[in-house]
Amino acid sequence: MPHRWGMAVDLDRCTGCGACVTACHAENNIPTVGDSQAARGRAMHWIRVERYWEGEYPDVTLKFRPVMCQQCDAAPCEPVCPTYASHHTDEGLNAQIYNRCIGTRYCANACPYNVRFFDFFHPQWPKPLDAQLNPDVSVREVGVMEKCTFCVQRIHAAAIDAKAANRELKDGEIQPACVQSCSAKALVFGDLNDPESEVSKLSRSDRGHKLLDDLGTLPKVTYLNRPQA
Amino acid sequence: MVIAFALGLAACGSQPQLSDAVFTTAHRSPGEAARHFFNSHPRPQQPLAFPHKTHIEKKAECTDCHETVERGPVAGIPSVKACMICHSQIATSKPLIKEVTSYSDRGIEIPWQRVYGFYPESHVRFNHAPHIRAKVDCAACHGDVANMTVAERVVDHTMGFCVNCHKQKNASNDCLTCHF
Repeated sequence: MPHRWGMAVDLDRCTGCGACVTACHAENNIPTVGDSQAARGRAMHWIRVERYWEGEYPDVTLKFRPVMCQQCDAAPCEPVCPTYASHHTDEGLNAQIYNRCIGTRYCANACPYNVRFFDFFHPQWPKPLDAQLNPDVSVREVGVMEKCTFCVQRIHAAAIDAKAANRELKDGEIQPACVQSCSAKALVFGDLNDPESEVSKLSRSDRGHKLLDDLGTLPKVTYLNRPQA
Repeated sequence: MVIAFALGLAACGSQPQLSDAVFTTAHRSPGEAARHFFNSHPRPQQPLAFPHKTHIEKKAECTDCHETVERGPVAGIPSVKACMICHSQIATSKPLIKEVTSYSDRGIEIPWQRVYGFYPESHVRFNHAPHIRAKVDCAACHGDVANMTVAERVVDHTMGFCVNCHKQKNASNDCLTCHF
């Protein structure tokens, strides 16, 4: 049976530290655009930590929600792509193929989660910072759309290692950069087709919910509510 | 492609002048962009003419020098230290070996130039190891290097070239297998 990659996010554990955002930038060669362009909404973060203040001052609580591509099973971004750059893989990943993309930006328009980002500029790194670019990930050029891949380079690498050793992938063997860097272990990644994997157990939790569930996009990321005090 | 190109030009216009102190994917000139588009690039000029043929005739294997080809994504260009394992003793009087020795004595690596791995391959995350494990011969993609003196680019690594072989060997042809 093919794998079906998914993630669970325990909102009770998330401290909003932002390590996932930093790790994602480093792992996936995500460029920064500078403050003036960021003010125009052109900043790129494949994962972001949303903040929600609840209650009236001084009785307020702050809640965090890390949001990355939800890898929807019925993804609104896919049917709108005229070049099939945005498509679904056998393992349920919502793939974005940079060299198919012609930059119509229909997908970002269709995405209800705002997790697709357009390269308005050629990425730039002052030398020698380019030496820290991850060789396992493309450096995207101007005019293409990019988004969270669930660190597909790590999925491929682990699958290749497992095949070389003639064994199955173990649960927890693959960790996207955000999961690896989460000190509170709020993020869990794994195979939803394996009923014994940690992520499928968490996804079946009573606390679980999907983001914008009523849209019917069938996301593969499950958020676990904070238990009511 | 045309849209991306037009956007590229537009974006270049709104950004500060590119300097050599900045790494960017932007083309430095319209000519460079055109050469990339038509997949034309200069022949690599190697610092010294490495004769593959001589080494293979002496029963050296590809993996003796390109050590990581069975284990990792890149085959690996050997360090000048690897040359000196043999050439501190063998053929030390020949002019090319003297050049190698000189690099080694100065403690610097020989600045070999890439032969493969140009645009458009740079859009592909290629991993050597699984191909070697699938018993793909080195020559299938690199030509008959065993009979070359200086390594030349003789096989065009187009997507059709990759996909044909993937089809024959029943390997995955999903875009995401190679492009990410």
